[in-house]
Amino acid sequence: MKNKDNSISDYKNKLQKIINKLDSKFDYEFNMSLSDGYSVTSRSSEVENIEYHQDMALNVSVYKDYQKGSASTNDLSEKSIQQAIEKAQNISINTQADDCQGLPESQYTTQKWEDMDIYYPKTLDIKNIIDLTKDCESSAFQKDKRVTNSEGSSFTFSDNTHMILNSNGAYGTFDSTDYSLSCIALAEQNKLMERDYWYSSTRDFDALESSNHIGEKAAERVIARLGAKTIKTRVCPVLFSPEMTSSLISSFLSAINGSSIYKKSSFLIDKIDKKIFPDFVNIQEDPSLSNGSATRPYDSEGVLTQKKDIIKDGILKTYLLDTYAARKLKSKCTGNGVLTNIIVSSKKPEANLLQNMTDGLYITDMMGSGANSLTGDYSRGAFGYLIKNGEIQYPVTEITVASNLLQMFENIVSLGDDVDNRNRIRTGSMLIDNITIGGT
Amino acid sequence: MNFIKDHIISSYDLSDGKLENVLSAACPTNIDFADLYFQYTNSESWQLEDGIVKNGSSNIDSGVGIRSVSGDKTGFSYSNNFQYENLLSAANTSKCIVNSGQDKEIKIGTEKEIRRLYEPISPLSYKEDNAKVEFLKDIDKYIRSKDNRVDQVIVSLAGVYDSILILNTDGIKAFDDRPLVRFSVMVILKVGDRRERGSAGGGGRYTYEEIIGKKFGYEFADEALRQAAVNLEAVDGKAGAMTVVLGPGWPGVLLHEAIGHGLEGDFNRKKTSAFSDLIGKQVASNQCTIVDDGTISKRRGSLSIDDEGCETKCNTLIENGILKGYMQDKINSKLMNVDPTGNGRRESYACLPMPRMTNTFMLPGEYNPKEIIESVQDGIYAVNFSGGQVDITNGQFVFTASEAYTIKKGKIQEPIKGMTLIGNGPEVLKKVSMVGNDLKLDDGVGTCGKDGQSVPVGVGQPTLKIDEITVGGTQV
Repeated sequence: MKNKDNSISDYKNKLQKIINKLDSKFDYEFNMSLSDGYSVTSRSSEVENIEYHQDMALNVSVYKDYQKGSASTNDLSEKSIQQAIEKAQNISINTQADDCQGLPESQYTTQKWEDMDIYYPKTLDIKNIIDLTKDCESSAFQKDKRVTNSEGSSFTFSDNTHMILNSNGAYGTFDSTDYSLSCIALAEQNKLMERDYWYSSTRDFDALESSNHIGEKAAERVIARLGAKTIKTRVCPVLFSPEMTSSLISSFLSAINGSSIYKKSSFLIDKIDKKIFPDFVNIQEDPSLSNGSATRPYDSEGVLTQKKDIIKDGILKTYLLDTYAARKLKSKCTGNGVLTNIIVSSKKPEANLLQNMTDGLYITDMMGSGANSLTGDYSRGAFGYLIKNGEIQYPVTEITVASNLLQMFENIVSLGDDVDNRNRIRTGSMLIDNITIGGT
Repeated sequence: MNFIKDHIISSYDLSDGKLENVLSAACPTNIDFADLYFQYTNSESWQLEDGIVKNGSSNIDSGVGIRSVSGDKTGFSYSNNFQYENLLSAANTSKCIVNSGQDKEIKIGTEKEIRRLYEPISPLSYKEDNAKVEFLKDIDKYIRSKDNRVDQVIVSLAGVYDSILILNTDGIKAFDDRPLVRFSVMVILKVGDRRERGSAGGGGRYTYEEIIGKKFGYEFADEALRQAAVNLEAVDGKAGAMTVVLGPGWPGVLLHEAIGHGLEGDFNRKKTSAFSDLIGKQVASNQCTIVDDGTISKRRGSLSIDDEGCETKCNTLIENGILKGYMQDKINSKLMNVDPTGNGRRESYACLPMPRMTNTFMLPGEYNPKEIIESVQDGIYAVNFSGGQVDITNGQFVFTASEAYTIKKGKIQEPIKGMTLIGNGPEVLKKVSMVGNDLKLDDGVGTCGKDGQSVPVGVGQPTLKIDEITVGGTQV
């Protein structure tokens, strides 16, 4: 990005000038994001798509007498910004007063912030990137003859800048980069096809897994799916892979989000200081993880993000609150206008969960939106492997996984040490007892 | 009116000559095809929760997407503004997909007359913001007065006006104006410690005049209340393979997931779909005839022209159980040597078009819905769904019921808790043994996601019976 620092201070000055001219009976908050980058996809050993992107967006919120209006525009000319502000003001006049509404208290907001280790700009030659994706795809084909087709390999890059400015004096800006390389491989056996993928996603290009590794891993994963069978309906222990565990934890996190709580649309209302998980489970938020995919110094309102315990020894310690939800629940804002990195840990992580299972399923893929945030009822489609005496018997398809999230959390037997560091939620696999599997 | 034609073209002084230069820059001699997609989108939403309309938001997103296509290779770039220099620069970026040759001379055609399926009016021209707020408050009051178990009501109203211009090197110049409104209501009822939800909503390509103060808002409120009340009584359902009767309308999400995505042209050209090479083959029972119809007036999934300037059509996908054709955009139809079907769609100027569905539904059969239910000894009757997903390669798909009942000896029994159904696309429709005569389309709330791009769609079907599909209850 050219003269990034200059352009940010230009935007800051422009917005500051606009604020100074505006009706001071209103409070103002500006959230700006800029993102430049591209994606490259190669398939069948040829480049297929090159897409360049260049996004900008400005969100304005205005407050007056506890009334709020918001507007956004992707045209950052002074005229458009003025129009967006007027729109937000017009909306606010028509909304109803709510005394929880308003800018965050200034003692919580950013003026000075830690430098986060998430910005690794690098000039890349697009020809090399094309070769990288071609290598990645061909590694999948070379790994196994049964890999017969692919949806290609893709590389994405973006260079992002965020800025927040409000009329109470909060100001912050930070830069970040995102790189990813992925491969989707298809394999065929007895005229039945399967697909699977692997990816690496980092802040630093040089930290990406190698193209060979990604291609081969995609191939291994799709080959493992071949010959899947259906099984009979049963109740059994299920080992959820780290990716699937992350999905369960994500359902938990959305249920403790402040807006779900004050709207009473969560199965976890009135659960602070209550036991949700077994004793050995801890869940922390860490906003400043080096290279973390959700690392950031302040949230969407400019409130400094905080490292904190969410689950301590199985007990729920906090909801995730932005300014509005905190006021609504008569509690303190936790800097959760966004959610940063989440670390799920166990006091006794186990190395060989699968090998120690006598009878059950290892679930590596789930489909559908069957997590009911209001009741915790859980029912989704799944793909996995039948396990007997610590060994994979065969892949299993066309099954459902059903229980209730509260029961599932209570029935956690153990956590694996196979932590996946690619995502916002860092967790190993999770063994849960008493899950209903629907089959034939 | 068309915002692009009436405001953008003149404000930015974009003469046909300049636009031809941009297209030329995107289409050197070794590029087969290039197009420009101008878009100006103005949207807004209003939401009531906890009894008050505490916020509203308004959003403007506009720009021009430029695509250069050579065989199956695509270069793509876009500009967030309409300055001529920025368009030229985006065109020069987009053509980098191939080693450049000489720019070709391009002539822009005359404006294409389009068949209008909806009025070119912006829902946002409805000036009475206060009337929107009062309407939402009135719905809230109405719901709370009807049932003292109400614990939460969330009502929202959203409107979008999309103004587009498509220009391409085949000489197409076409404008379209696309209004879209949506009303939704969610109710939570509470009895003791138990809370359950019901939701309903609808909309289409028209303006707020057809919603605000109109009866249907209150009908959706009644429907949400009814569903929440049913769910309060719901018991745990069984797991395993069983006979399932799907109600008419929105349960057509079955078709969208089980066969719709699998019949999109891109997957079939690449032979990554479980339906690849099955044209002319039996993929459903002979009672099933399924179409994708983008031409129904004012419906949410309809378009006068698709995002590549082709008129939408009513395409027969499956006729009496036999697979007839795929849904195509320009690139895939050309590479597969078939005609485009008017299914080239994109989320916005910042995304590439792909083959996408419009309104996908099954035509009515001969059975009375009552006799379909009476034919089931032991099974479930599912009437509302919250969404679905598919793996187009192995054909596995799911869809999640939010209102369902058990059927015993031909009679509908107690409600059961929401659960996911899983099946295999090319197999499940072969198990459709009865198709009702009560075709219904959904109320206009569907959104389909593919490759990170969301587009509004519709679904529909008559009541139908699937002899066996796996159901994800908790009881064994």
